[in-house]
Amino acid sequence: MRPILLSGHERALTQVKYNRDGDLIFSVSKDQQICVWFAHNGERLGTYHGHVGAIWTIDIDPTSTIMASGSADNTIRLWDIKTGKNLKTWEFPTAVKRVEFNEDGTKLLGVTEKRMGHLGTIVVLDIKVDVEAEQSDEKALTIVCDESKATVAGWSYLSKFIIAGHEDGSVSQYDAKSGDLLYNIAIHELDCPITDLQWSQDRTYFITASKDKSAKLVTAKDLEILKTYVSDTPLNSATITPKKDFVILGGGQAAMDVTRTSARQGKFEARFYHKIFEDEIGRVRGHFGPLNTVAAEPTGKGYCSGGEDGYVRVHQFDKGYFDFMYEVERERQNRLNQQQQSTA
Amino acid sequence: MDAERINSADVAVVEERRRLLDEWYAWRHQVEEELAEECEIIQRPVDLVAELLKAKTADIGPNAEEQIIE
Repeated sequence: MRPILLSGHERALTQVKYNRDGDLIFSVSKDQQICVWFAHNGERLGTYHGHVGAIWTIDIDPTSTIMASGSADNTIRLWDIKTGKNLKTWEFPTAVKRVEFNEDGTKLLGVTEKRMGHLGTIVVLDIKVDVEAEQSDEKALTIVCDESKATVAGWSYLSKFIIAGHEDGSVSQYDAKSGDLLYNIAIHELDCPITDLQWSQDRTYFITASKDKSAKLVTAKDLEILKTYVSDTPLNSATITPKKDFVILGGGQAAMDVTRTSARQGKFEARFYHKIFEDEIGRVRGHFGPLNTVAAEPTGKGYCSGGEDGYVRVHQFDKGYFDFMYEVERERQNRLNQQQQSTA
Repeated sequence: MDAERINSADVAVVEERRRLLDEWYAWRHQVEEELAEECEIIQRPVDLVAELLKAKTADIGPNAEEQIIE
């Protein structure tokens, strides 16, 4: 599994994301740049300029028409992916740490930072997935997080719920229409912030990563913990692979906290776990600093990671990855194949 | 004796994995059914994104000239 190294950013990566087809990778960094790359060869297609602060987050609508970014310059910006035009800018009192489109791209949520005099919020904007359209100035909804600020948030299946991960290690389920808090459950260790929240393909369950060194698989409908993946390092990101039942975790102790040898030798690793059995099954090393963000390619062909070292590493899975199966999985596969044959 | 003990431990592990796998797919099956029902109620396609992409392609049209973006 030979990676492609994308070097275009000058500072730590904060989020990487594939578009729906998996042919493009979008990356954002503290260097105030948004880059877009071809996933198959790592060629840089372009950059998007406008933000004047570290960029924390990015998302792409399902049709790869527009994208949204959130920054330490206290704005969410909407972009025309094809032309690079900044279509709209919304201003907030504090930094924007996370943005996410809902399933059809008609709504965008933004997580705003807590700061003296300002509580953390989750805002919802109505979006027209059309580069010619006038976008609304008004927020459709504001959810105030008065208990513990939200660090990450996303839209569930059918845009029914907004699910947020908090600084105190809990997750919340909000009614996406009214903004009412329905549930709040402590799922990670108290006061270990949730650093990432990514969805399964149908958005009925999600994975969280936490500084408590674990990742959890949780249902959107009733916030039930399905699985726990235990690692030995604080986690910054977690993603669910389509096609194979794996999850990929990224993290690492910052170099200043440990001896510098691991940083010099590129020993920071992406960790693969079996989604159902919770076992660690492999690691991929390469980064020279903690992995800040990992993303699974939506058609199941590979994954990419963004590091504190300023690099994006893109991996295409090889045959061994697809062939790997536990004995009981092979059993099940054989049984299904037999059933198919007998009905055919 | 040792071989037997290891063997029975292996069997227990495999049994447990089989249980976990069945439990997972049973849960997935149930969730997928519920989701399909909810989609039907609100008259929405289950694979919304596929529909959106179809609409976008139709918009561009089969005869639209291919654009080369430099």
